[in-house]
Amino acid sequence: MAEIVLENVTKTFGGTVALDNVSLTIPDGSFVVLLGPTGAGKTTTLRMVSGLDTPDSGEVYIGGRPMKGLSPAERNVAMVFQQYSLYPHLTVRQNLEFPLKSPLLRTPLELIDRTVKEVAEVLQIVHKLDNKATALSGGEMQRVSIGRALVRNPQIFLMDEPLSSLDAKLRADLRIELKRIQAKLGATLLYVTHDQIEAMTMATHVGVLNEGRLVQFGAPREVYEHPVSVYAATRLGQPRINVLPADLFAGAPSGAKSIGLRPEHIVQGEGEEALVRRVEHLGDQTRLHLTLKRHDLVTVTDPHTPLRGGETIRIQPSRPLYFDAAGIRIA
Amino acid sequence: MLHSPVERVAEATPHAIAKRFRGLSDRSLAWLFVAPSIVLLLAVNIFPLIWTIRLSFTNFRVNRPNAEVEFVGLKNYISILSDKDIWLTMQATAHFLIWTLVLQVLIGFSLAYLINKKFRGNDLWTTIIVLPMMLSPAVVGNFWTFLYQPQIGLFNYAVGFLTGADPSSFSMIGDVSLAPWAIVIVDTWMWTPFVMLICLAGLRSIPDSIYEAAECDRASKWRQFWTITIPLVLPFLMLAVLFRGIENFKMFDLVVQLTGGGPGSITELTSINLKREAFEKWRTGYASAYAVILFVTVFGLASIYVKALNKVKQR
Repeated sequence: MAEIVLENVTKTFGGTVALDNVSLTIPDGSFVVLLGPTGAGKTTTLRMVSGLDTPDSGEVYIGGRPMKGLSPAERNVAMVFQQYSLYPHLTVRQNLEFPLKSPLLRTPLELIDRTVKEVAEVLQIVHKLDNKATALSGGEMQRVSIGRALVRNPQIFLMDEPLSSLDAKLRADLRIELKRIQAKLGATLLYVTHDQIEAMTMATHVGVLNEGRLVQFGAPREVYEHPVSVYAATRLGQPRINVLPADLFAGAPSGAKSIGLRPEHIVQGEGEEALVRRVEHLGDQTRLHLTLKRHDLVTVTDPHTPLRGGETIRIQPSRPLYFDAAGIRIA
Repeated sequence: MLHSPVERVAEATPHAIAKRFRGLSDRSLAWLFVAPSIVLLLAVNIFPLIWTIRLSFTNFRVNRPNAEVEFVGLKNYISILSDKDIWLTMQATAHFLIWTLVLQVLIGFSLAYLINKKFRGNDLWTTIIVLPMMLSPAVVGNFWTFLYQPQIGLFNYAVGFLTGADPSSFSMIGDVSLAPWAIVIVDTWMWTPFVMLICLAGLRSIPDSIYEAAECDRASKWRQFWTITIPLVLPFLMLAVLFRGIENFKMFDLVVQLTGGGPGSITELTSINLKREAFEKWRTGYASAYAVILFVTVFGLASIYVKALNKVKQR
């Protein structure tokens, strides 16, 4: 429904740079996931787009219009806050109705009822509708908070770690639901998370942030397979990419300081000898914890592997990534 | 090797003490610790209350200790409740109570709302506004008699300056129609800061993120005020009203210093009236009945109010 453009956005909070000259174009109808550790500037980016904070310099455009001086209400964005921010004195139903009951909108009561019920069903909180917002578990609060954004029909959805307090099953359910709703509405969704599975499964684009700078922006597979740096490479993939000294294996290009090996990019059979320290059977796959010349690494193997701890195997890289001394990818 | 705090305390306790307390259960030890406060409470609160209720059914006069004390039944209660002067006193108290509460809530909340806005020096302003509350009521009553002085009083001068009226043409504490307002003004001046502080605590307890959520939900400032600020501050505000209400029902010192209950008995609040009956006319039995009536009234009103307060909190 609207394209978002950030143009050289910089924001500092009392001396610390939260965002450092970030330029980013979020295409209309895309699902963009921002990745990065705490303090990388993910939430700050959301707040810049929402209008809760304003950039020190640079400009935010939504649907081609400059947003300078416009309030969140005028920008027509819906936000899911990390700390839920429910209205504590209202019931779940009243919380969900709140955005629709704006005097400006004059939404018919019947429509409000129907919308609230639909959203409550999707989020599996129908039985809690008449509870007070404070009488809920963390996961329930988080779902109400998501619901409060979903009842509306905004230009843009902004979500700050909306699934972080949910249990694994519900999280998996809601990943699919969110993706479905977003696709159905054709809404632009900007989403912050720590969870790389959420990034891989839902995102059309992933933005990797590091200390206020945008390191890489692209499709999740693109970032996964062609990371620009060690940092970007470690953001995606579970188990994490193994980063080892480049001279451990033959064939490193000149200037390479380290080699990055995704767990599935380690081939067994030939090559260097490695000790199997631990075998983790996960059902659908088995993880091997190996020690190679005093370096630890993790690889995945056949679920029914007969390997046991203490045995040795031979391994060699396939499709390795090479990084220079500064961590920038060179091959 | 003793690790838990309990074990370490036991180790550190001198043997003589440990020996003396050995054989006492935890429960009896607990009672032993609480006993002094319970004895004190019984002696200075519960016993006088019961004694007062007993006296209220007699014609006892404390200045005639040797006179025979007669049991008079409900006579004291009947004569109090049918006394027109006492009802006038009640009216004066109600006037004082209602207006001080209305003004203090309105002004106190408004000040808190303004102070809560982030601006330079708001801490300094808070301190300045809170100053009157720290003064002694007797002192406040006394110096306001000067402020209200028709010829030299600053209050009269200010009113004259603002309205163009002759400052010496009216006397706040001398006029029958103005005196009830004179005490309302002084009490409001002195205690509005208290209401402000409690409202401020309430306002500060509302996280910014709730307003941010409302902002994103496209609620206007006006709607945010009525649907978020007011409901969330209401329990605090009601608590302030409870404190001020109970305090002002018992109002004595400030008004005695300011008007002495005059002119005539127009500002004679119930507690002043009661003090006259008890310690000027020495009608101890009668005054006891009076005190019991006031106690029941305050207690009754306060319990109804606290129930309402709890309902608001649970909402």
